[in-house]
Amino acid sequence: MNFIAFGLGVGWGFIGIGEVTNPGGESKWAVVILGYRMAVALTDTAIRLREELIGVLGPNRVMDSPLERHLYAKDAGVYRGNPTLVAMIENTDEAAKVVKAARRHGVPVVARGAGTGLSAGAVPEVGGVVLVTTRMNSVDAIDVENRTAWVGPGVINLDLSRITTPYGLHFAPDPSSQSACTVGGNIACNSGGPHCLAEGSTVNHVLALEVVTDTGEVVTIGGAAPDPIGLDLRGIMVGSEGTLGIVTRALVKLTPNAPDVRTMAIAFPTIEDAAVTVSGIIAAGLIPAALEMMDQLMMQAIENWLHAGLPVDAGALLLAEVTGVTAAVDAEAEIITGIARNHNALSVQVAISAEERAILWKSRKSAFGAVAQAAPDYYLHDTVVPRTRLVEAMRQVYEIGERHGITMMNVFHAGDGNLHPLMAFDASQPGQLDKVKAAADELVQICVEKGGVLSGEHGIGIEKRHLMPLLFTDVDLDAQARVKEVFDPDGVFNPGKVLPEGSRCFDFGRPAPEGAWV
Amino acid sequence: MKNPFGTIPPADPQNLPPAEFALAPTSLEEAVRALRIATDRRLRVLVWGGGNHQGYGHRTYPDVVLTTTSLDRVEIWEPDDLTLVADAGVRIGKVEEMLAEHRQTTLLPIHSATATIGGALATGLSGYQRYRYGPSRDRLLETRAITGDGRLVRAGGRVVKNVTGYDIPRLMVGALGRLGLIGSVCLKLVPTPSAAVTVTVDDPARAMAALYRPLAVLSSPAGHRAFLWGTDAEVESQAARVGTEMERGHFWPLPPSGMMSWSLRVPPSQLKEVTDRLPCSWDYVIQQGVGIVECGAPDLNLGPVWELRGWAESVGGAIVLTGGPDALYDRIDPWGAPPAGLDYQRRLVSEFDPYGILNPGRLPGGI
Repeated sequence: MNFIAFGLGVGWGFIGIGEVTNPGGESKWAVVILGYRMAVALTDTAIRLREELIGVLGPNRVMDSPLERHLYAKDAGVYRGNPTLVAMIENTDEAAKVVKAARRHGVPVVARGAGTGLSAGAVPEVGGVVLVTTRMNSVDAIDVENRTAWVGPGVINLDLSRITTPYGLHFAPDPSSQSACTVGGNIACNSGGPHCLAEGSTVNHVLALEVVTDTGEVVTIGGAAPDPIGLDLRGIMVGSEGTLGIVTRALVKLTPNAPDVRTMAIAFPTIEDAAVTVSGIIAAGLIPAALEMMDQLMMQAIENWLHAGLPVDAGALLLAEVTGVTAAVDAEAEIITGIARNHNALSVQVAISAEERAILWKSRKSAFGAVAQAAPDYYLHDTVVPRTRLVEAMRQVYEIGERHGITMMNVFHAGDGNLHPLMAFDASQPGQLDKVKAAADELVQICVEKGGVLSGEHGIGIEKRHLMPLLFTDVDLDAQARVKEVFDPDGVFNPGKVLPEGSRCFDFGRPAPEGAWV
Repeated sequence: MKNPFGTIPPADPQNLPPAEFALAPTSLEEAVRALRIATDRRLRVLVWGGGNHQGYGHRTYPDVVLTTTSLDRVEIWEPDDLTLVADAGVRIGKVEEMLAEHRQTTLLPIHSATATIGGALATGLSGYQRYRYGPSRDRLLETRAITGDGRLVRAGGRVVKNVTGYDIPRLMVGALGRLGLIGSVCLKLVPTPSAAVTVTVDDPARAMAALYRPLAVLSSPAGHRAFLWGTDAEVESQAARVGTEMERGHFWPLPPSGMMSWSLRVPPSQLKEVTDRLPCSWDYVIQQGVGIVECGAPDLNLGPVWELRGWAESVGGAIVLTGGPDALYDRIDPWGAPPAGLDYQRRLVSEFDPYGILNPGRLPGGI
């Protein structure tokens, strides 16, 4: 059953128009009532839990009105859930108490930062307390000598870099949503960004975590000293999408700002030329700070809005940035320019001033907002291929778009092989979202066939869990499900995310010997 | 005991610790079979790579030594993608020679000619270039590991950026084989720049402040040296800022030697105290900015260790025994105070090794 329009909350229920498919495959339109009563009225359990949470957080930080719950029902992607309650926490103790209370009432807990995620990791699919961490936004103990800071999960990514600028430091992960997304969300998703080509994803920049466990205990794992002894619990927690625990504080590594930087915008006649240049740069032994590509459609959309002076007549634009000491960046910029010219570069523009550099990055990072002129909705995808397969992967991206009649726009982390096809569509048109989702699955499929993976930085969430078997065997998925079980045996945290249903029932095919810890 | 391992090739027991059986599987499938049999019979297995890092962790007394020597295939090397897929038993020195053809490196430390990729990862070791490039675990992209009960589990992927599922490969790093025998891995490689220099410096703190992300600044009883990498112009301009004596190439210090060796790990800012705290008879290499001090003691006197341990743990660090006579491991816990979250560690291990047969007891807390 596929709902294309949600109606307004009226009285006891939500009314929607849905396309109902019967088992025979026929579909017809029907007006249906969604979640009668449950969607609006609180269940008895929820009422009791609400009272308890109000006791912990006060009345203003526990939200239960249909509108408030509606607002927290989705992230920046296309999936929608149904929050039981929304709880705004301000400290670790409150987080622990909320987890304990929710657990007692059998209600799951779904952590949420700014809600900029795209894989529905923060969507309370089966209900639950949406635990909002945005108020935990303090940056404590900036340690210049160790280049670390303890931060709350609600700190906005860009704010952290701004706050540490006076010390000549920054937080290296820089997702395009960095002016809104939180460090807690970055940790949950192991977020990347353009500059993780050289600096690595969030996991490389987290040294310790304070975590509220499924029983509401608080444990701090990792630390400022290198190679903490024992298993790397901190490492498994990063990228676990809120399914293993709630991060309430993090010790992050700060990166020194580069003494010099060269940012180049290189125009190419075709996307192939740009892609071959990317491979050429990596093969030449250069790892630039960032290597980003955008296609013509995307350039045009951005230019219409930002007037950044992008070469809109070109087929593709490569944004290459090198950082380091002056001698190094000059040499590297020259090498990159040479490789680009060998692959038919039309023009090479080097940002001279900080302003020029800022406008280039603004055009890159605000790309997704600019898409609104192409269509009212978009589905932003995230898959990875080995960098050597970039050219053929891009060709297939456009083929899939054509086959499904979907406009594919591309702006992505070419240096990492991390594709972000953006499918512009109109969700009010019947069947459009389905078509887009089908194309999205196909995109993943072609990437996996090329030796790629499902996601490079957005996460699996709800969006891609059904695709996990493309990459992993039953045994592999079972091992992952065991990790989940170790931390959260009762399924308190973010149920249903990352792993497809039934992952933890792999039958080893042999009777368990006596004494097995099963 | 009758050999229950059938056709799994035996290993040459020379240079291996005493055990009932010594095995050298030649494929992941054979390793799977070996561990299933060991599990069924409750035989304790010790995984052995090059034998370089067996000093880490509690002593184990195995029934079976399983060496990875014959898991020695480099499966895929994609120079243009800067990735490598190789079996755990591949020797780091050998693979580095191969990678040098295209000026690439794994950055894994080469402790001796026998040091293996799997051994370095299982022990969680990183090379001296870590200050610039981060620890080895940041470059491990995929593992195929065999759990104690013989499940072949693949996790991660062969691309440089990946958030598909839980990061089991990262969990394997430093797990000393307790979560599984690392069978094969995919590593992210690093291009080797054209120029390398070693600069003698007077004051490591000043050098650290003056240099932009040097490869390493190391201090030993012989003095302080900064290690630089990059283009010619880059290393020359950097070197000129900090030192007078510059040599082409990297002259890494020899690992400290002694009767017992220790790895001291503290927040990097604590390192300025460290030379005052180390007994003057000890040999050492300090990794400035990283927080690791490799130490070698000329005797088995544990007095200084207790003091260092008290200090290290009070600043959130540890001092870990990395080598010494077996009897020493009975006199002192090689790890010190166990880390937080020990119960999760125990439960993770029991999911991956339900019968406790694979390197049992080696981790902190005797897990």
